[in-house]
Amino acid sequence: MAEFSTSVKDAGDVNIIYLKGYLDAHTAPVLENTFSNLVDNGRYSLVVNFKELSYISSAGLGVFMAFIEKIRENKGDIKLSAMNDKVFNIFDLLGFPLLYEIYKEENEAVSKFSQIKKLENGK
Amino acid sequence: MSKLKFLKINGVELKSNLKFQTFIGLAAVLFLFRVFIYSADSIIWVIINELFVTVTLASLYFYLLDLIHLKTINPLALVMNIGIINALIFFLFTFSNVILGGLISKAESSNINHGLLYNLISFVYSMFIMGSLATVFLAFRELYFYRQKKNVSTYFNTMIFFFILASISSLLSKSPDLKYIKDTFFIISVLLILINSIRISWIAFIVKKEKISLLVLSIIISILFFVNLIHSSSDNIHAQMLTAFSPSLNLFLKIIMTYGAIYFSILFFTTLFHIPTAEAFDRKAQEVNFLQYFSKLITESVDFKELAETVTDIAIKVCNGNAAWIAWKEEDGFKSIANKNIGYYDSNNLTNFIFKNKLEKNSDQSSIIKLKKYSNRPQLSEEIFYLASAPLKAHNEIKGYLIIAKKNDVIFDDEDNNAMDTFSDYASLAIENSRLLEESIVKERLEKELDVAREIQRKILPAKNPEYRNLSISSVFIPAFEVGGDYYDFFEITKDKFGFIIADVSGKGISAAFIMAEIKGIFESLSQTFERPKDILIKANKILERTLDRKNFVSAAYGVFDLKKEIVTISRAGHCPVLLIRNNIAENLRPSGIGLGLNFGSQFIDSLDEIEIKLHDNDIIVLYTDGITEAKNKELEDFGSAHFEKILLDHSDCSTDEISNSVMREVTLFSQNNSQHDDITLVILKWKQNFNKDGEIEWQNSAPQLKTQVM
Repeated sequence: MAEFSTSVKDAGDVNIIYLKGYLDAHTAPVLENTFSNLVDNGRYSLVVNFKELSYISSAGLGVFMAFIEKIRENKGDIKLSAMNDKVFNIFDLLGFPLLYEIYKEENEAVSKFSQIKKLENGK
Repeated sequence: MSKLKFLKINGVELKSNLKFQTFIGLAAVLFLFRVFIYSADSIIWVIINELFVTVTLASLYFYLLDLIHLKTINPLALVMNIGIINALIFFLFTFSNVILGGLISKAESSNINHGLLYNLISFVYSMFIMGSLATVFLAFRELYFYRQKKNVSTYFNTMIFFFILASISSLLSKSPDLKYIKDTFFIISVLLILINSIRISWIAFIVKKEKISLLVLSIIISILFFVNLIHSSSDNIHAQMLTAFSPSLNLFLKIIMTYGAIYFSILFFTTLFHIPTAEAFDRKAQEVNFLQYFSKLITESVDFKELAETVTDIAIKVCNGNAAWIAWKEEDGFKSIANKNIGYYDSNNLTNFIFKNKLEKNSDQSSIIKLKKYSNRPQLSEEIFYLASAPLKAHNEIKGYLIIAKKNDVIFDDEDNNAMDTFSDYASLAIENSRLLEESIVKERLEKELDVAREIQRKILPAKNPEYRNLSISSVFIPAFEVGGDYYDFFEITKDKFGFIIADVSGKGISAAFIMAEIKGIFESLSQTFERPKDILIKANKILERTLDRKNFVSAAYGVFDLKKEIVTISRAGHCPVLLIRNNIAENLRPSGIGLGLNFGSQFIDSLDEIEIKLHDNDIIVLYTDGITEAKNKELEDFGSAHFEKILLDHSDCSTDEISNSVMREVTLFSQNNSQHDDITLVILKWKQNFNKDGEIEWQNSAPQLKTQVM
C-alpha cells in the first residue's frame, strides 16, 4: 500500500510540516496526530509543505478543516506551500484558495507569518 | 428368586458381605474347635488347627482385598497405614508381658473355667495379630504392584508360596532333625523378599515434598519392624501364646516383620537417592503439565489479556522466578502487561533499563541479564538481581518480551533457560492465535459495516433515469469496496423541468453513506422549493452547518434542465467541472464555488457562481466524480482528464450508452492491475433538439443496453 509520513521542523515561531507520500482515508490519522500534537503544544503558526506529497484524497483535505477553526481562534493559521499541480488542482476545485493562503514556496509562507508579527509589534 | 435378583444388583457389596460372613463363620468354628476339640498332643488336631488358621487368614485377606480395591491407591497413604498398624503391634508387644500376664493371672484366679477364659484371650489376641498381618501384607502387595510396568506377579506369587511353605514347616520344628527344612524355606523367603523389595518403581512419581516425608516415615517404620521382629523372636508371653495358638501364624508374623524391615530399609535408601533428582523430576513433570495445559489454552482462549495473564503466571512457576511481566511493543516503546509480583512502575523501569542499555540483543533466543554488573542501575528495584527475557514472536516479528525476574542470588541455570525458550515459543503461538482471532473479528465487523454502507448507497441512488423526448440519459455507478460516498440523482420539478445533482462526500464507509442519505433528503426537498441552483446550494450549505462534522465536506454540482426553454443552469460547489461536448470540443464548465461544509460564512455565498447554457443540437453534458480521472494503474498514474475528454470526443456521435460504455471500458483496462479505491460515477446527457420519430428509433436501435448500469 501507498505510504504516508510527516515530519515537523521548528523554525522559530513557525512550525513547518512536511508531507510525504499518499494522504487518504487510511493515512489521514497520521496527519491528524501531527496537527493535534502541535496544537496541544500551543503551536498555531503552521506552514505545510506539500512538495513530496503525491496524492491527497477528500479525507486528507478534511484534516485541514478539522484544525483550522481552533488555530485561527488562537490567532494562528495554516498556510499551504509547494504543491505540485495535481495536488493544487484538487485544492483548487474545492475552493481551498479562497479559504487558505497557498504559496509556491515554503519561504513565502514562513515570511508571511513574520510580516504579521512585525506589524503587530510595530503597533 | 426375587431375593437373588436383589443380591445381584448389589453385587459388590454382597460379595464382600459374603466374604465377611465366611470369615466370621470360619473364626467362630475355629474358636469352638479350639475350646472343645483341640489338643496340642494330637498331631491330627494340630494339623487341622493350622488348616483352620490358614483358611481363616485367607478369608480375611480376600475380604480386605475387596475393600481396598474400592479405593484409589495412594502409596503414601498405604505407607501410613502400615506405619500405624506397625505402631499398634509395637505397643502390644511392648506391653504384652504386662497386659497378657495380668489377664492370664486374673483368669487363673477367677472361679470360672479358666481354660475357657485363656482360650478366649489367646483367640482374641491371635485374631488381632491375624487382622494386622492381613492388612499389612495387603498393603505390601498394593505397593508392590503400584506403577509396575512389567508383569511381575510371578515373583510375588513365588514369594507367597515360600511364605506358606516356611509357615507350615514351622510345625516340623518340634523335632530338631527337621528344623533345617523350616530354616531353608525361611531363608529362601528372605531372599525373595530382598529381590522383590528392590523393585520399587513408584518413588519416581511422587513430588519432592512427599519424598521427604517418605524418607522420614520409612526410617521410622523400618526401625519399628526391626524392633517388632526382635520382639516376636524372643521368648515372652506373646511368643508363648501365639505359638500355642498356631506355630505357623507366629512364623508368618516373623516373615512379615522381616519383609517390612527389609522393604522399608530399601525404601529409605531408594528415597534418599531420589531426593537430589526430585526437583528436576518435579520440574519436568510440571513443565509437561503446563505445556499440555497451554496447548489446550491456545485453541480455546480468545481474550488476549487473559492469555497474557496466564503466560506470566505459568512462566514464574516453570522458571522458578519471583516476578514476571510481558514487555509489549507499542508505537512509543514498551509497555508492561500482565505483571505478576511486581508493580508497573518497577517493571517499566526495568524494561527501559534493559533496552536502553541494549542488554537484550534482539536475538531469537532467551537471554539472561545480570543486573549486579551494572553499578549505575538507576532507581531500579533493589531486590531484583537477575532478569531473563525471551522474545514473543508473531509472523516472525518480535512483538514483545517475556521477562522473568529473580530476587535472590540464585542464578538462572540452563534448565531455566531451556524451559523459558520452550515456553516462550508456546506463548508466542498462543498470542499470535488470539491476535489473529481478534483481527478477524474486527475485520468481520468492518465488513458488515461496509455491507450496510453499500446497501444504503444502493437504495439512495436512483433506480432508473428519467425519460424525456429530447434528452437521452445514461448513467454508470461502480462502488469501491469501501463505500466512497459518490451520489447522483434526478429530481422532477415540473413536466418540462428537472434538477440533477452529482456529489462526492468526503471520507469513506458508513459515515460517508449517512451523509449521502442526508444530502439526498436536503436536495430532494430544496429542489421543490427553490428554482435556482445557486440558491439551492446556499441553502444546502446552511442546513449542513448544523449536522456536518468539521472535517467532513461534500463536493457537489447541481443543475436544472429546462426542456422547454432549452436551457441548462449549473452551479458548482467544489465538484469536478461539468463537461460540455459541443462541436468536437470538450469545455470544462467550472463556475466558481467552495465545497459544501468547508465554509459557512459569506465566502461561500460570495464565491458561488451560476452559469446558464443555451442547448444546441447534439450537446452532451457529462457529470462525473474524481473516481474516473483519478483511477490508477499499477504505476499509480492517474487516468487523467485529458484521457477522459479524448474518449468522450471520440465517441461524441454515439448514443449516451455507447459513450459511457466506452469510458468504462477504457477506465477498466487502464486500472485492471490495481484495485479500485474510490467510487466511480458517470452521468451522460445528450440533447436532441431536432427531434423526430426516426431519431428516436435510431437511438433505441443503437442502444439496446439498460439505461442505468449499476455494477
